[in-house]
Amino acid sequence: MSLRRHLPHYLMIAPFMILFAVFFLYPILSGFYYSFHDWNGAKPPEFVGLQNYEKILASRDFSRAMGNLLIYIAITVPLGILVALGLALLVDSFTGRWANFFRNAYFMPVVLPAFLAATIWRWIYAPNLGLLNVILGWFGAGSVNFLNDTGTMMYALIAVDVWVSAGFNMVILLAGLKNIPTELYEAARLDGANKWQQIVHVTVPMLAPVLFFVFTYGLISAMQVFDKPWLLTGSSFTSYGGRRNALLFPVMDMMGRAFGGVKFGEAAAYGFLLTLAIIAITAAMFLLRSWRERR
Amino acid sequence: MKTHSTLRSGAAGIAALVAMSMAGIAAAQDVTLEYWVYSDFAQGEALALQQDFIKEFTAAHPGVTVNIVGKGDDDLTAGQVAGAASGNLPDVFMNAQSVGAQLVEVGALDNLYSKWMAMPEAFRAQFDESALAACMPRPEELYCLPYTGFGSLLYRNLTVLEKAGIDASVPPASWADWYAQMQAVKAAGLYAIPDETLVFNSIAEIYATSGSTETWGFDWENRKTRIDPAIMTKVLQKFVDMKDLNTGTSRNDQATKDLFISDQLAFHTVGPWVNPTYAEAAKASGLKYDFVLIPGDEPGKTGGIRSYEMIGVAPGPNAEIAFEFAAFITEKAQMARWAKLLSRYNANAAAMADPDVSALPLIKVSVDAAHGAMDVAAPYFIDSVPSCYNATVIDFASATADGEYTPEEGAKAMIEELNACLAQ
Repeated sequence: MSLRRHLPHYLMIAPFMILFAVFFLYPILSGFYYSFHDWNGAKPPEFVGLQNYEKILASRDFSRAMGNLLIYIAITVPLGILVALGLALLVDSFTGRWANFFRNAYFMPVVLPAFLAATIWRWIYAPNLGLLNVILGWFGAGSVNFLNDTGTMMYALIAVDVWVSAGFNMVILLAGLKNIPTELYEAARLDGANKWQQIVHVTVPMLAPVLFFVFTYGLISAMQVFDKPWLLTGSSFTSYGGRRNALLFPVMDMMGRAFGGVKFGEAAAYGFLLTLAIIAITAAMFLLRSWRERR
Repeated sequence: MKTHSTLRSGAAGIAALVAMSMAGIAAAQDVTLEYWVYSDFAQGEALALQQDFIKEFTAAHPGVTVNIVGKGDDDLTAGQVAGAASGNLPDVFMNAQSVGAQLVEVGALDNLYSKWMAMPEAFRAQFDESALAACMPRPEELYCLPYTGFGSLLYRNLTVLEKAGIDASVPPASWADWYAQMQAVKAAGLYAIPDETLVFNSIAEIYATSGSTETWGFDWENRKTRIDPAIMTKVLQKFVDMKDLNTGTSRNDQATKDLFISDQLAFHTVGPWVNPTYAEAAKASGLKYDFVLIPGDEPGKTGGIRSYEMIGVAPGPNAEIAFEFAAFITEKAQMARWAKLLSRYNANAAAMADPDVSALPLIKVSVDAAHGAMDVAAPYFIDSVPSCYNATVIDFASATADGEYTPEEGAKAMIEELNACLAQ
């Protein structure tokens, strides 16, 4: 009786559930299954218990990739948000066609294909004759090999990443800025607050939920970084990560194990380790936020 | 002599077509072959010619349709590996011989040996021997038909050489000559060469100026590198010597091509694929350039690498007709048309010997370059090369050029690390 009554509702959600099961649930479950197997895609999977996980955790590339990731996240996420917030405040101060112009200009890198962005930046970073080295030369500095000097490679990547992500974050923050009631700024001005104090005591607290979203999204994206370091270092499945693996990241290592080394079981285990890390960090952030809100 | 050769290849072509058609008649049915190629084979005039090949093949095989799909290097490999795992492989596909081992491991490549042996001897004799041998890791195992390929060349900017006071009418005969020219170019305030330590293939090209296939690549049986420490020491010294003469950009960077086109770079060691760009620049902006063999340590020896792209056939119900298609497109008549259209070297030696083809300047030099060059990652089809291998070669070459190691130390440490990498 109950089933008959709810049948139309089940039918309505069935397409979503079927697609979800086929394209999300099945790959996740089969990936989990293969993560405990030695499997190269051709021979039947052979159960190896936790061996794939142990191999990955003990590997030098994993340690290097995770170390790089931590440095990358620690700089790129906060820096990206700061730059985006600065741009959002700047664009918010314009009106009319200038506001539209700057919003579109800053958003442009977001829609640029990754390979094109990488080509442009490889030119900018080129030693001796790249734009950046030409500018440095005006100030008497020597040529820097940004994409092959292990001391500069990470910062070169972060600059590209901030350049690409700032526009996207700016649009979201700009929408948040538009929702802040102007009365709050008027009240702050009446109380004698200067522009900086208005930003610190009105804008930032009122933007907190949006900033939390931007931070969480940025963190999850940063943990899965792949295309930009892959393209900037001219990587392929047989050689990736740049000089001395200075730009080796977990997703690159995982892809290399799958398609370069043909070790799908190991790659699946890698994927699960990364997923667990992302879930744990995201959950910790949500818990921290709710704890702060309760205080 | 020429008539005799033409008659013989004509007879071979007819025999091959008859053999293929006989099998085709037997297999006449509605079938669609998925044919994956590199993306530059699926664009412009190359695509138009590929479509002509397909039209001719399908006209002779009623009921057969061929879908050509272009993919980038990594997409091609990822698609074939994933396709093998999911049972959804393309029927006929291109890739580099250097990823052959991965494809054999995942079961993406049919052993073509029996089909190959069933072909007329005249067809089998058409291919470059070394390219064919690379497809056969063991007796009675043939995993590919050699298709296109390259031998790396030395592109020379003649304007830069003139500014540096170098007589460009004679190519450098040896490494010593070439290095002296590089120094002259630097003295003229211009760049001599890209940074050859940044890309595995450019390191291999310079190694080949001193070494050979026998002292490069892998000893899979003992899981050790075949790199000779004495030769590598010599080569690392060359990188140290070239350190102040180079652009700092890799041979693959757009910046390198732009420097060459704008008359700031003298030499570019690379495959023939940059030629259309330079030929276009010659027309548009008057670039004066030529291409010669990369000189080796002694006169008569050449440097550079060679590598071949292959055509593989997936195992499965379409394997017979897929092999017929593969045999058709790699056959002399098609490969000669391909070479004439694009001026590109390929693995069909009979096509390369065709007078209309061998008269093309780029082909002429490419044939000599390929014959004298070193195989880039041989032997193929035996085991997957771990990613740490190429990265280690690049890291130690760069670090030695930067002065972090002496060439002796660099060579010793590199070989130890490579052996550890292969032993993993």
